[in-house]
Amino acid sequence: MTIRLIGFPFSGIVLRVIICLKELGIPYELDPPASYKSLRDEDYKANKHPFAKIPVLFDGDFKITESRAICRYLVSKYQGKYNDTILIPNDVHKAGLVDQFISYEFSYYDPPLSKLLYQEKVVKSLNRDQDPEVIKQAREELAKVLDVFEKLLEGKEYLNGEYSLADIFLCPNSYYVYDAGHSDLWDNRPNVKNWWNRLYNRDAIKKSFEETKSFWENNPKF
Amino acid sequence: MAIKLIGFAQSPTTRRVVLVLNELGIPYELESVTEIQTIKTEEFITKKHPFGKVPVLCDGDHVVNESRAICRYLVSKYQKDSKTVLYPDDVHKASLVEQYISYELSYYDPPLSKVLYQEIYAKRRGEPTDEAVVKQSLEELSKTLDIYEKILKGKEYLNGEYSLADLFHIPCAHIIYSATSHKDIFDSRPHVKQWIERLQNRDAYKKTYAE
Repeated sequence: MTIRLIGFPFSGIVLRVIICLKELGIPYELDPPASYKSLRDEDYKANKHPFAKIPVLFDGDFKITESRAICRYLVSKYQGKYNDTILIPNDVHKAGLVDQFISYEFSYYDPPLSKLLYQEKVVKSLNRDQDPEVIKQAREELAKVLDVFEKLLEGKEYLNGEYSLADIFLCPNSYYVYDAGHSDLWDNRPNVKNWWNRLYNRDAIKKSFEETKSFWENNPKF
Repeated sequence: MAIKLIGFAQSPTTRRVVLVLNELGIPYELESVTEIQTIKTEEFITKKHPFGKVPVLCDGDHVVNESRAICRYLVSKYQKDSKTVLYPDDVHKASLVEQYISYELSYYDPPLSKVLYQEIYAKRRGEPTDEAVVKQSLEELSKTLDIYEKILKGKEYLNGEYSLADLFHIPCAHIIYSATSHKDIFDSRPHVKQWIERLQNRDAYKKTYAE
């Protein structure tokens, strides 16, 4: 039975899972909900996600929620099964460093990135004005994080040397913020710029964003 | 060579790691940070933590930072030498533990950290407490704990058996109980209350908080 992924292909959080599925060569079906509002239905909360969120993944009868947990599950179960791509190394020390970079993403990178994403994408859709002070502060905070990444990426192609789940987790929302007028934050730092271009040109990532564009074109109501 | 843990002895992030060390019976030395400047030096940033943070764990030559990553590393490497299972071998059970670890990160820690910041850390810095933030954060945390109340029905722990997911919730909950007037947010929900009591009765909990 094919894996079923519930979520919108344009959501940065769902894209983490889509990229992971594609990188590992795992066949799957995408099942977008009717709307964001439908996530708050009692039936959805009872049978899919108690916090009314996406993504949700079904692997046969087995259900799992939360993008980072879903990706770790896919790696544990399917890494090496369909192709040679390694997203979490088997060596305990190397895997520990991937976990460390995953933690940098949610502790230091994601907070300012999410603020920028909210200002650039969500605020407009709610017919509200952007807050320039929030944007300025978030840019400054993200710039400091990217300064650290610039040093960490010295002599490396990816955060932990080889490509890993840590690079995937921060990719989707970075793309949206990059594309919304903040590309200078990445492009002004040579190691970060090279890393970003390398990521963005991976087949799985390119294809995932192409599918997002396709979805927008076919579903303008979103 | 014993494992060395560098951190602020009483911080919730350091205690998260100490809980795992105690659960798995791993000997370690705590190098207590007393001056924040010591973790902001060029040397610390280059060799220990590029963001100038603690805790940091040194296992021989191997350095790992970020409390949750350190905990995962300790479990991967040392659980097999212990009777305590913090992370199941079965891939389906393990991924449900990961799911609950993500709930802690996404829905529990953000509002709880805001409450702790306002009630404890802001005061230490001489900043005024923003009561509106406390109120909103407690409301958000209440919604999360309403969901936990359902998840814990008929279960002793989030995933049935005790795991790293339950452990991750302990440090901030401990501060709510010991240093604020908000423990009713847990105690008013019977399954949540029993879960917290079960956590507080574990030997590793008692050892960690006696120190």
